[in-house]
Amino acid sequence: MHALEVRNLCKAFGALKAVDDISFSVPEGSIFGLIGRNGAGKTTTIRMMMNIYLPDSGSVTLRGSEIGPDFKDKVGYLPEERGLYKKMTVWDTLLFFAELKGKADKDIKNKAMEYLEKFQLANRRNTKVEELSKGNQQKVQFIATVLHDPEFIILDEPFSGLDPINTNILKEIILSLKRAGKVIIFSTHLMDFAEKLCDHIAMIHQGKIILSGSLKEIKSNYGQKNISLVHDGDISFLKNDPFVEKVDDFGNYSGIKITDPSKAQALLKTLIEHNIIIKKFDANDISLHDVFIELAGNDDETENNNGALNV
Amino acid sequence: MFNKKTLTIIKRELKEKLFSKNFIIMTLLIPVLMFGVLGLQTFLINYNSDKSANIRIVTESSDLTANLITELQQKNFVKNKSYNISCETINKNDFANYLKAHKKELEAEKLTGLIFISDSAKATKKIGYYSKNPNDNAVFNKLKSPINKVLIAQYFEGKQLSEKDIAYAKESVDFNAFRVTSGDKVEKEGYGNRIVSFLFTFLLYMSMIFAGTMMMRSVIQEKTNRIVEILLSSINAKDLMTGKILGAAITSFFQMAIWISPLIILLSTSIFMLPPEFVMQIDMIQILYFMLNFAIGSITFLGLFGAVGAIFDNEQDAQSGIGPVMVLIIIPFFIAIGMQDKADNQISTISSMLPFASIIVMPARMTLFAVPLWEVLTSIVVNAATMFAMFAISGKIYRIGILQTGKKPKWSEVVKWLRYDN
Repeated sequence: MHALEVRNLCKAFGALKAVDDISFSVPEGSIFGLIGRNGAGKTTTIRMMMNIYLPDSGSVTLRGSEIGPDFKDKVGYLPEERGLYKKMTVWDTLLFFAELKGKADKDIKNKAMEYLEKFQLANRRNTKVEELSKGNQQKVQFIATVLHDPEFIILDEPFSGLDPINTNILKEIILSLKRAGKVIIFSTHLMDFAEKLCDHIAMIHQGKIILSGSLKEIKSNYGQKNISLVHDGDISFLKNDPFVEKVDDFGNYSGIKITDPSKAQALLKTLIEHNIIIKKFDANDISLHDVFIELAGNDDETENNNGALNV
Repeated sequence: MFNKKTLTIIKRELKEKLFSKNFIIMTLLIPVLMFGVLGLQTFLINYNSDKSANIRIVTESSDLTANLITELQQKNFVKNKSYNISCETINKNDFANYLKAHKKELEAEKLTGLIFISDSAKATKKIGYYSKNPNDNAVFNKLKSPINKVLIAQYFEGKQLSEKDIAYAKESVDFNAFRVTSGDKVEKEGYGNRIVSFLFTFLLYMSMIFAGTMMMRSVIQEKTNRIVEILLSSINAKDLMTGKILGAAITSFFQMAIWISPLIILLSTSIFMLPPEFVMQIDMIQILYFMLNFAIGSITFLGLFGAVGAIFDNEQDAQSGIGPVMVLIIIPFFIAIGMQDKADNQISTISSMLPFASIIVMPARMTLFAVPLWEVLTSIVVNAATMFAMFAISGKIYRIGILQTGKKPKWSEVVKWLRYDN
């Protein structure tokens, strides 16, 4: 069963269609990456998922029930640009945001203390936010996002500005939240992090989903179509081969793109039959970065690409 | 309109605004500023009239000249040498030449003015003033009374009148103002009510502009910091704005109560005796009206300032956008100040019942003039209706504007926002 389902969301601002019929679903127990360039429609989608904007049409369902006004208490949101009241102390900030989520009891204070200790901020609890370093402010912001124990967490570029140690602490916490069964949506334009952390992704471009599904499948699917070959012998005959889409021949190194991943074995066979000496044959893993460039890099191309590719 | 989350926002606003150093500073600073403005005004008026002057008085008879010298020498402005007055006696036929001879001095303002008292003036009291600046009220105000006294004394001389009769004739009229209200009492009016009227007007004006500007800044700050994104993931925009407005309104209300408290103490006890000219005819009902009116006005204007803050994402743009809202405060302020001279005129009557203007004009008008009850009730109804209408409009603008960043929106776009459903 899917933890969160987004169905046919549309939102227009005047003539501009910011989000145009977006659908995707987030499986239980996974971290979901929402990927796209700036202005692609990520923020508008997220705002509709949090009930800040009402969609023109479409629906968002969390574990079977459609989101409504009471949903706000179940969501934790870490925006891309950090937003804290500079003059408030760390402690007051945390309690204020928790109270806004309807949590004002004693438990929340204990939990806030726990988190502060985890992030080595316990001794700064009475410090004003403006006196903290950027990294520490970010940690406070993250604690404020998850302190009220939300079911559904949206993290917009959570790692920007963190040093490697804090990145690790944060990563561990995110993974533990995942194990605790939270639905985590991770929005980014940095493919590296998405690749490392996400199980599933949806790629948004110009208000539409151009790719969605399990990251593993996407990568292997795109990757298997790309084969790098180190060889001796002339492979120019491949250009006439029906299942070869493109050959970049550099003499003893070639990059070959095939029409169908299942044709890799057939390609290997053909090469052997033509007495090509194969030193390395790598149906390699393509990076998410390359996939993204391929799909969204050229606007003219993608505009013709109307059908979303579902894997 | 009210829920627990709104309360959380109010609490935060109060903590930030009411319990801050800034609150104490502003609470002290505004009265200082107010008296500063009053002081400056007085200074400017006095500065102007204390300008030194060089006056020549010419008469046709030496008696008159001598009497004038005696009278003028007793005056402070001559004693302290701010006015240098010389007197001469010449023949009427020579005056034209005399004037010609002194024309250059008058043009160069070496001589501020030349006063000619002809013999016929002894009966008609019409005297000539020749100067580069012939409408100099400062000179007239200073010299009118001593010259008049001398002329009166000369006129009655030898007419067998007693000193007492002459002294009576010299005395000018002194107005004693009495306030007539619908009540039974007819009371002697001092400056007290004018001071209170000025106080009310000035405090309303200052408080609304300061609290409004603070509100606008706070909204812009939340918008540029993106705090608003987190806030809106927890609370809907209308509740958020309600919380912010009420938080700021409670702070202003509390501040106003502090400013007004000396007045309340004066009215409710008889410990402090004011000099008779400062006694004021204000009752508690007027104070209550003032505070109610202030609460309604605060909420109305805080909403507008908040909405303007939401439209723009930096203070420079917002400063230019706030103009229309400022006009709604500044024009009534001038109407109310202008009323000090004449409370009962059509502009003040009408504006004291108009939306927005009523908030500042009516309290001042009530202290200067017995306003009929129906007018007071009308103004309460109008103000409350304005508040609810502005609250709805500001809420809509706020809701859309607060999430818009980037390009500065046009007013036509803002009008379009009002038609958005969500």
